[in-house]
Amino acid sequence: MNKEHKPIIRVENLTVAFGDFKAVDGISFSVERGEIFGFLGANGAGKTTTIRCICGLLNPTQGVVEVDGKDVSSSTLVLKPHIGYMSQKFTLYPDLTVRENLVFAGSLYGLTRAQIKTRAAELMQFIGLTQHLDEPVKLLSGGVKQVVALAATLLHNPDLIFLDEPTAGTSPATRADFWRLIRTLAQNGKTIFVTTHYMDEAEYCGRIVLMERGKIIAAGTPQALKKQFFPQPPVELLFKRPEQARVRAELKARNIASAQMFGDALRAEVQDAARFDKYTRQNQAIFDVHPAQPTLEDVFLKAVCGREGK
Amino acid sequence: MKLFFRRVRSVAAKEYKHILRDPFTLVVALVLPLIFVGMFGFVIDLDYKHMRLYVRDNDQTSVSRRFLQEVSSSGYFDQTPLHSPARADEALQKNNTPAVLIIKPGFGRRVKALDPADPARAQLLTDGTDNVQASIIQIYMRGIVQAASSLFTGGAEGASSLIRTRFLFNPELSSRWFIVPALSTVIIGLLAIMLTALTVAKEWENGSMELLLSTPVRPAEIILGKLIPYFCLSLFDVLVVFVLALTVFGIPFEGSFLLYMLACAVYVTGALALGLVISVVTRQQQAAIQFAFAVGLLPSFIFSGFIFPIENMPLFFQYFTALFPQRWFLLISRTLFLSDAGFAPLAPAFAGIGLFACVMIILAVFKFKTDVEP
Repeated sequence: MNKEHKPIIRVENLTVAFGDFKAVDGISFSVERGEIFGFLGANGAGKTTTIRCICGLLNPTQGVVEVDGKDVSSSTLVLKPHIGYMSQKFTLYPDLTVRENLVFAGSLYGLTRAQIKTRAAELMQFIGLTQHLDEPVKLLSGGVKQVVALAATLLHNPDLIFLDEPTAGTSPATRADFWRLIRTLAQNGKTIFVTTHYMDEAEYCGRIVLMERGKIIAAGTPQALKKQFFPQPPVELLFKRPEQARVRAELKARNIASAQMFGDALRAEVQDAARFDKYTRQNQAIFDVHPAQPTLEDVFLKAVCGREGK
Repeated sequence: MKLFFRRVRSVAAKEYKHILRDPFTLVVALVLPLIFVGMFGFVIDLDYKHMRLYVRDNDQTSVSRRFLQEVSSSGYFDQTPLHSPARADEALQKNNTPAVLIIKPGFGRRVKALDPADPARAQLLTDGTDNVQASIIQIYMRGIVQAASSLFTGGAEGASSLIRTRFLFNPELSSRWFIVPALSTVIIGLLAIMLTALTVAKEWENGSMELLLSTPVRPAEIILGKLIPYFCLSLFDVLVVFVLALTVFGIPFEGSFLLYMLACAVYVTGALALGLVISVVTRQQQAAIQFAFAVGLLPSFIFSGFIFPIENMPLFFQYFTALFPQRWFLLISRTLFLSDAGFAPLAPAFAGIGLFACVMIILAVFKFKTDVEP
């Protein structure tokens, strides 16, 4: 792939309709080389559909999808060797062993048996999978399956890697491992396009896009998004006496702040700073105020609520 | 091109492993032919024996009695004397008997006279509601008449006044000889269709199709790769059925074995490709297997000539059956089992199964969906 400075993925006004239902509704974005690009949204928001269009597995109803400056639908076969796609659904053959699955996937990319062997050994070391090579895939646990699927995706050393919910249903330890791998891949110059609905994972992404019902409702770096949706950072009220419910109701009733329960603390978004200070001083005995960082979860909720409010 | 063969080989190797590890496929491929051959070969016996026959002898001479004795000793008929002529129609109407034999007065005199202008007469009434049985009774009766005529005339001249028929190739007119070669058509065809009907649908259902489609593999490579291992498995079945036919049923094989195997290879390829077409189009195992069963079984019986002779069909259907490879393969199979015909008379039939196989492969490749649109 050529390395000049052009976005590796360019999507413009992409619409995918299944009958009357628009799974993706006129979205545009681009992805730069070497970045970790996060695609966030609830199930059914249109993330997988978008990825399938970029991988050439689905034809867009409308719009432009380009990878490396080439139109995807007209040059699918040229692009496929450069793309690695790990589907949300487990797509390896359950009755074949890990090794057989890898050999099969690799050979479809035109790798020779020797190439596959070397590459698989590299990958196994990289991924930390050494024991299960000759076990049928169906006997593996969920986390190991995901790791094997990742190995199959990386086997042909693609430049552009799509990971569709790679960590769904896996343990926190596996998730951490996965993200360590993803960051290493990005450091090696790969472009990673990852979808997730874990908002904490989105923090690891260079840039993210929030999708909701086929549309992009927010896009940018995690920091920029937090700034955009929370010009004033929220505060956290830590209670000395259990009066959270009363305080929350009062803040709301007087239009001072909107507050949400957060464990046994309240997380408040201040609307009237002067009156909030005053209220705080009056209730010093009940709670302390600490500055808090908005999470992407907050951003997502606000973005979704904001849209629904309109 | 090198890459093409490497991918085909990979798909074939993978498919081969699926077969070895899936008990269901192995059972279908290895046990089903035995069950089918047993079921059809033994249970479906189209030979009728000890059929009831009402007899009215209006001649009552030694000749007519000798003739009836001949009818008895054939073993096909159990006779019941009929005392009044009016009861003949009644017996047929009430389904008491499938046939009534009436010997006309003067039968004995005429047999002895041997006058071609004035032959001996006997009337056979058969119940046409079961026309298969009716025609079989007629055929048997003709055979008996033939035997009786040579008895009466001592094989001398003048026997021409009686019916004369000789059955070629299947002198015993044993239906088993006729059925078992046809069976290979049904069994091999059905098995081949069922074996491949699941394979593509399975890939869709367990998600591996998404993996296949995200790689640069092409539909033709997948289709060919899937054909090869099932082709080998089906040829094995061909041999099993062939050996059973020869050993268990004692069917003679008169033709060229090589020609027969060539026909089987082409026929099996067409059936396997048809299974793939079904699988590619339905994308669901449940639907695919039902489809495969219907498509594999019905034309084998109805349009192949297995049960209904093609020459007796209306002209439109005679041409229509040409679309089904079962018809052509049945012709090849029966011909090669029961006669020593060469390639030339079978050339159109070979063209028929060859064309079908080509069309099905092209269709399977062409219909193969390369995107995951639901």
